[in-house]
Amino acid sequence: MPLPSERWSATSLLRTGAYGAFAIIFLWFAIAAPGFLSFSNLTDVVQQSAILGLLALGMTLVMIAGGNNVISGGIDLSLAANLGLSAAIYARLIQNGSDAMTATVAALGAGLAVGAVNAVAVVWLRIVPLLATLAFSKIVNGLEFVLTKNSVVTATSTAQDWLSGTGFLGVPEMAYGLVAISILVWLAVHATPLGLRLHAVGAHPEAARAAGLSVSASVAGSYVASGLLGSVAAIFSASLVSGSSPGSGNYLLPVVVAALLGVTFSRRQVSTIGGTVLAVLFIGLLANGFQLINISSDWIDGVEGVLILFLVGWTTFNQKETLES
Amino acid sequence: MKAVHRYGLPLTLAVLFAAFATISPSFLSENNLRSLFVNHFTLLMLVSMAMTLVVATGGIDLSVGTAMDMSGFAFIASLSNGLPPSLAIVLGLVAALAVGGFNAILIAGIRIPTFLATLGTLFIGHSIQQLATGGGVPIYLIAGAPRPIFGDIEAARPWLALFAIAAVAIVLGFSLFGRKIVAEGIAPAVARYSGLLVRRDIGLVMLGSTLLTGIAGIVLSASVHSYSPLSGNAYLMDAIGATFLGTTFHHHRRANLVGTILGVLLLSIVKNGLLLVGVSFYWQQVVNGTLIFTVLAISFGTNRKSLGV
Repeated sequence: MPLPSERWSATSLLRTGAYGAFAIIFLWFAIAAPGFLSFSNLTDVVQQSAILGLLALGMTLVMIAGGNNVISGGIDLSLAANLGLSAAIYARLIQNGSDAMTATVAALGAGLAVGAVNAVAVVWLRIVPLLATLAFSKIVNGLEFVLTKNSVVTATSTAQDWLSGTGFLGVPEMAYGLVAISILVWLAVHATPLGLRLHAVGAHPEAARAAGLSVSASVAGSYVASGLLGSVAAIFSASLVSGSSPGSGNYLLPVVVAALLGVTFSRRQVSTIGGTVLAVLFIGLLANGFQLINISSDWIDGVEGVLILFLVGWTTFNQKETLES
Repeated sequence: MKAVHRYGLPLTLAVLFAAFATISPSFLSENNLRSLFVNHFTLLMLVSMAMTLVVATGGIDLSVGTAMDMSGFAFIASLSNGLPPSLAIVLGLVAALAVGGFNAILIAGIRIPTFLATLGTLFIGHSIQQLATGGGVPIYLIAGAPRPIFGDIEAARPWLALFAIAAVAIVLGFSLFGRKIVAEGIAPAVARYSGLLVRRDIGLVMLGSTLLTGIAGIVLSASVHSYSPLSGNAYLMDAIGATFLGTTFHHHRRANLVGTILGVLLLSIVKNGLLLVGVSFYWQQVVNGTLIFTVLAISFGTNRKSLGV
């Protein structure tokens, strides 16, 4: 058992590792990739990170409230399917002549419904979250399939044009969107009693219950919020590609990676909103920089994999405490 | 009521079997039963047996699809370069073992949790396959001389599945090593303080279990006469589903052999039965998901004492 001071130095070393990797890669691109540092490129990176970012925020909320054990703790594997279904509903409605307002409300409603079912399954039916959200994502995925017949649904509206366009100072509206939603979620999680409760419930459910907090309400709330964020991501996606297309399942594991990578950016090795946002931007910068210096995108998954192993390996070496499973 | 939470899985299985047999006469036909027990069933069984070993040890393996892909890639690439089939099979298994060995080093050597270690392996495996195939172009083996090896592997499928079941049954049920890993899965800290080498053992399990996923990879590519990158991933979520569905069959919700077999049966029968009963193609997935979700709800929801959140 290391002394508190040692532990502190070990984790600060770890943070140096995550921030160091970020800085080195940023510097590398700044030197090697032409146009990387331009304002428009950097804001484009934020825009391109928006969908993954919103999904990862949802995942982070669930992980905070469910505790840090990925297998038995909080995890939402239905986020990718939720993205697909909500985008399909949005695109279908617009295509059938609904106005963007109705489509938006319907998509958000679908996301909330997905979150609510997850909440019921995890909190009241007490199904292991990994299993509950995985099984439910099959149903959600199936509904998307029914709605789209596994084909592209094209939809355009002025609202979509606005959201995928650029706004004040030439910055993409989606970049503003990601920043604004991140700040809102950050405030809710790190600056309100609600957020404090979320952390307490995730870290020590028994202690939180003994202190009179409602574990069920917090955990259920995290799944509903995650569902909502999934459908916001869907509206972003539908605006970006003018409709919905099959293949949302490709987001399933990258979202998990982003949320777990975010852990290495936090001081105490826990899920935080700031850490997740940094991890998402990190992944976005990687994809962008590789494109600029003409490295095949085939490398990106591998680099993300090495990065997560490297940073987590760094943690375990420095903490000298084995993490469970 | 008390028994429901444990027997939800076999009961559902029995009800579905009876329902499908009643609604669709062809469900019980020899042809259908053969395709049921040979096609989807054997591949998923091989992968799920590997997953059961890992989950029983207290871990999870997200890279089973990667091990399948690597072995399929080595197997098909060897054949297309004119190597003899037996050598191609050995190279396929070696490729899968390399994935397991990489996981073992990460988990036992660097002490990375299994979920993260195998997630990293999965992502690295994606890139390796994309790069090795010029961005994901499949390798086909249609041209040239007929290859009797594919027929032989097809014929061996049921035996391979039985071999996997027997291997896991022996390891988990009748070996000292099995007793150790189950103990480590239940209480890792207690096992460690009792002098068991928890990390080393789970490393060995990661390595050994990839032998089964490696066989699955070879069987998959032999049945389609080709290797297409990232095709093993389709089995990852089903194997996790089957294994964790199987945990509902155990008093203490642990991964267990019989439970996993029932889980694989359920997933395979539902897929096959819905097709025969004539559920609209587009609705099959929804019905499939709903059935599985219902089994979970029955098994977990009726047992209020479960560990829960």
